Amino acid sequence: MKQFKLPDLGEGLQEAEIVEWHVKAGDEVAVDQLLVSVETAKAIVEVPSPQAGVISRCFGASGDLLHVGEPLVEFEGEGEDSGTVVGNLGHASGTSDLAADDFIIGAAPSSRDARPLPVMPAARELARRLGVELGQLEGSGPGGLVTVADVQAADTQPTAGEALRSVRRTMAKNMSRAHAEVVPVTIVEDADLHQWDAGARDPMVRLARAIARACQAEPALNVGFDGARLSITRHQHIDLGVAVDTPDGLFVPVLRDVGNRDAEDLRQGLARLRADVLNRSIPPRELMGATITLSNYGTLFGRYASPVIMPPQVAIIGAGVIREQAVAHQGQVAVHPILPVSLTVDHRAVTGGEAARFLKALVEDLQAAE
Amino acid sequence: MAERKPVCMVEAINLALHRAMADDPDVVVLGEDVGPNGGVFRATVGLHERFGFRRVMDTPLAETLITGIAVGMAAQGLKPVAEIQFMGFIYAGMEHLVSHASRLRSRTRGRLSCPMVMRTPHGGGIHAPEHHGESTEALLAHVPGLRVVVPSSPRRAYGLLLAAIADPDPVIFLEPSRLYRSVQQVVEDDGQALPLDTCFTLREGKDLTLVSWGAALKETLEAASRLAEEGIDCEVIDVATLKPLDGDTILASVGKTGRCVIVHEAARSYGPGAEIAALVQEQLFYSLHAPVQRVTGFDCVIPYARQEMAYLPDVDSICEAGRQTMRGNDQ
Amino acid sequence: MPLSVPISYTRYLDDHGQPSGELPGWVDDPQLLLDFHRQMTLVRAFDQKCVALQRTGQIGTYASTLGQEAIGTALGRAMTEADVLIPYYRDTATQLQRGVAMQDILAYWGGDERGSAWTAPGALEDFPICVPIATQACHACGVASAFRIRQQPRVAVTTCGDGATSKGDFLESLNLAGVWQLPVVFVVNNNQWAISVPRSLQSAAPTLAHKALAAGIPGEQVDGNDVLAVYDRISIAIERARAGKGPTLVECVTYRLGDHTTSDDASRYRDADELSEAWKHEPIGRLQRFLHGQGLWDEEKEQQLQRDLGERINAAVEAFRSLPEADPGAAFDHLFAELPERYRQQRDELLIRAAALGGSAHG
Repeated sequence: MKQFKLPDLGEGLQEAEIVEWHVKAGDEVAVDQLLVSVETAKAIVEVPSPQAGVISRCFGASGDLLHVGEPLVEFEGEGEDSGTVVGNLGHASGTSDLAADDFIIGAAPSSRDARPLPVMPAARELARRLGVELGQLEGSGPGGLVTVADVQAADTQPTAGEALRSVRRTMAKNMSRAHAEVVPVTIVEDADLHQWDAGARDPMVRLARAIARACQAEPALNVGFDGARLSITRHQHIDLGVAVDTPDGLFVPVLRDVGNRDAEDLRQGLARLRADVLNRSIPPRELMGATITLSNYGTLFGRYASPVIMPPQVAIIGAGVIREQAVAHQGQVAVHPILPVSLTVDHRAVTGGEAARFLKALVEDLQAAE
Repeated sequence: MAERKPVCMVEAINLALHRAMADDPDVVVLGEDVGPNGGVFRATVGLHERFGFRRVMDTPLAETLITGIAVGMAAQGLKPVAEIQFMGFIYAGMEHLVSHASRLRSRTRGRLSCPMVMRTPHGGGIHAPEHHGESTEALLAHVPGLRVVVPSSPRRAYGLLLAAIADPDPVIFLEPSRLYRSVQQVVEDDGQALPLDTCFTLREGKDLTLVSWGAALKETLEAASRLAEEGIDCEVIDVATLKPLDGDTILASVGKTGRCVIVHEAARSYGPGAEIAALVQEQLFYSLHAPVQRVTGFDCVIPYARQEMAYLPDVDSICEAGRQTMRGNDQ
Repeated sequence: MPLSVPISYTRYLDDHGQPSGELPGWVDDPQLLLDFHRQMTLVRAFDQKCVALQRTGQIGTYASTLGQEAIGTALGRAMTEADVLIPYYRDTATQLQRGVAMQDILAYWGGDERGSAWTAPGALEDFPICVPIATQACHACGVASAFRIRQQPRVAVTTCGDGATSKGDFLESLNLAGVWQLPVVFVVNNNQWAISVPRSLQSAAPTLAHKALAAGIPGEQVDGNDVLAVYDRISIAIERARAGKGPTLVECVTYRLGDHTTSDDASRYRDADELSEAWKHEPIGRLQRFLHGQGLWDEEKEQQLQRDLGERINAAVEAFRSLPEADPGAAFDHLFAELPERYRQQRDELLIRAAALGGSAHG
């Protein structure tokens, strides 16, 4: 028999007088169904049922005084004696699979019969990506272990197209990595070259110098940025990566210390780099360590671009084809040679203001006669 | 006389005790409140009336002593079944379990031995006060020479307790209090023991092995049902004897499925799940499709009743671990 | 407020071997007295041999019984073969009296479990040496409970030191023995020192026997250096238990003439004068003087005894030294009644490691 005792009615009230019963012995009640009205010193209060069940007994009649904690109603039930137990043991409610009749002592038959194939975890992953069926393989490793090589050998899927090799393969990997990390922002402007000597059309040296000047004006774009550690390394020198297009692919040799070299030195340096690249004789060391990069696609085609920044660099300058264009100059329409300049920065490390100031300094230097 | 109506786990334990005591005069029961009161969870109801104080002894309030005298009785060839009221109070007896019960046979090269059973309610989730919901089975399972057994159903409680009592070496029998009355099952009072040192497969499946014991099996089985609806066919293993562990059953299952999630209420670090995970990766590295996962209680002091349920592994967490295991490296 | 309950103190022989009061009737049996003397002399000689073996690296740490030969000899003699001893670790005398072979005692302290697997018929159910302090008292209550449950006229006798009486296990055991009226005798070897902690810092109880009062059981003191007193009072306690009259605590007051163990240097914390004073009360000389006085002993008999004992002890040491190498797998063979299959691999690994060490397990 489960008894429901008069609960604490709040506000320190310790007793109540039964006013009217709403149920009687034998009634089936639902949770929250009102059992009885009682009157405290303050008010008449309705007491709801704490559970569903059948009332077996009501304690007291109208007018009787009950104290908090005294039995109010008794419900019919198993009357389980669950002991002097602390806590609340859940009673059986419906079925659980724990009461299932069947359980197997030891391993299930299908487990006992299983013959797992040993596969290197890396091989398993590769097989999944390539869609290779492991079950058909014979492993070449110890104990029939299936290795990465086994999976590769079993990969009979014809490759759609030809596999990338060497330089293009490297480009594919590097660009993917850069794209995953860098947050690129591009700002463009046109440099008006009308002050240059007529006939001077190779802008490379001027671009190198202009970039050096811009780095001096706004050193924030000549830094190394570590995205994992969120740290900046300020470079002492400006080592300019120069993108060179070859039949074998894109190379970016490095023109060292452009800030401290004169025009002639730079010109010779550029010529030497280009020759070495085309000869495929450039040492790998010369392809590393650029602090900022220039992509002069103006030798080919195109106006503006947003080339890809290679971490840990934070900026790359793009220079397009110099074109004759009608411009407004001192109130008149004139035709001037215009060099389109693009600047892409990694906004994780460089602000818009820094980029704009850099670009301004660059363009201004580029536009100067000498 | 066979019992036909369904019984809950506590009643099954009571049946086993009656049975063992009737069949073997050397079986005795001792502990606090086990006599006329029948035990605070009613596990020993009726024993005192039937077998008297000579064999069903109310001890003074002294867990160190209870454990120690069980060792002495067992050395004399009795089969004492000592009750510790809650696992939270077993610590006072640890010295006798670790320093004596576990090693009496070894240190006398078999001249003396210790066929005792220590029974105690295990685990939380019953809204009891602090210290009444402990799951520190790892402390005991670590000790060489002790057996640690955790039943998960009335029938397995009956059969495993009979086995524990009959076993010639010490057995710690941890009874999940959350399951004491919440599951009912018909139990044949046929005196048949179940094997110790053996896991039970509660559900056969081909995709994923779920390993658990005690009350956590309730949620584990529910998770298996839910995952089945998502097309993931789970095999559920009840470890039952934590020590000595039946690695063969677990390895056969994970060898077949290639995927394993271990579920336990005990705190995560240095929990028994770590031992099982180590065994699985050691023996099945080349068969695994995904890392072994553990869904466990946390490495914090188990919260009081109000927040206790958040501590225990729930069906959602088990399902999510299962799904992750199926996904493998696909994110 | 100090308890003023009187605790009896029994002594029959004083330091000079003179009777102090009336002697119990059994003292008329000269053979028993000669047996005591012979046995205590053996214990001392063997005990000194053990210390020497430790000092020469042939056994490990050893707890000497120097000065307590009377207690173990008397209590071992007072027990019957049906009774069970649950000792602590300073019980060389008791074990020898119970029939445990000297080479088994050497094996135990020499780090070999076979030392506790003795076959002495009178000690087959005796517990091995107990290191965790006072835990043996609980085991003794368990053993005594088994006697009561099976209604056997047997008694459990357990020993411990003065330090052990401070521990919970001891107090819980006294309490249980009292409330269940168990057939157990608690023998406290109060040798005044728990390593370096003197009796005065161990308890405010006027005597350790007073602890029996809280448990509602009889407690008494005896002069632990008087073998007659120890034998008499423990015999009475054992027979009381056997007759179903319940437990007794007998506190044997003595002095630890040696170090706590061979790893201890008592001169660091003990006064040399106090030690030489204590030697005056030692048990063997006392009995010997009594026997001289009774005409039962002389110098020639003493020399012969020393020779006999020397031979016996040397034989035991030889037996110990020629013990065949223990099987390293025994640690697994006796882990459980039957070794579960999955431990076989570990057992094999253990054998491999043992083999790699090569040669003697004694290092």
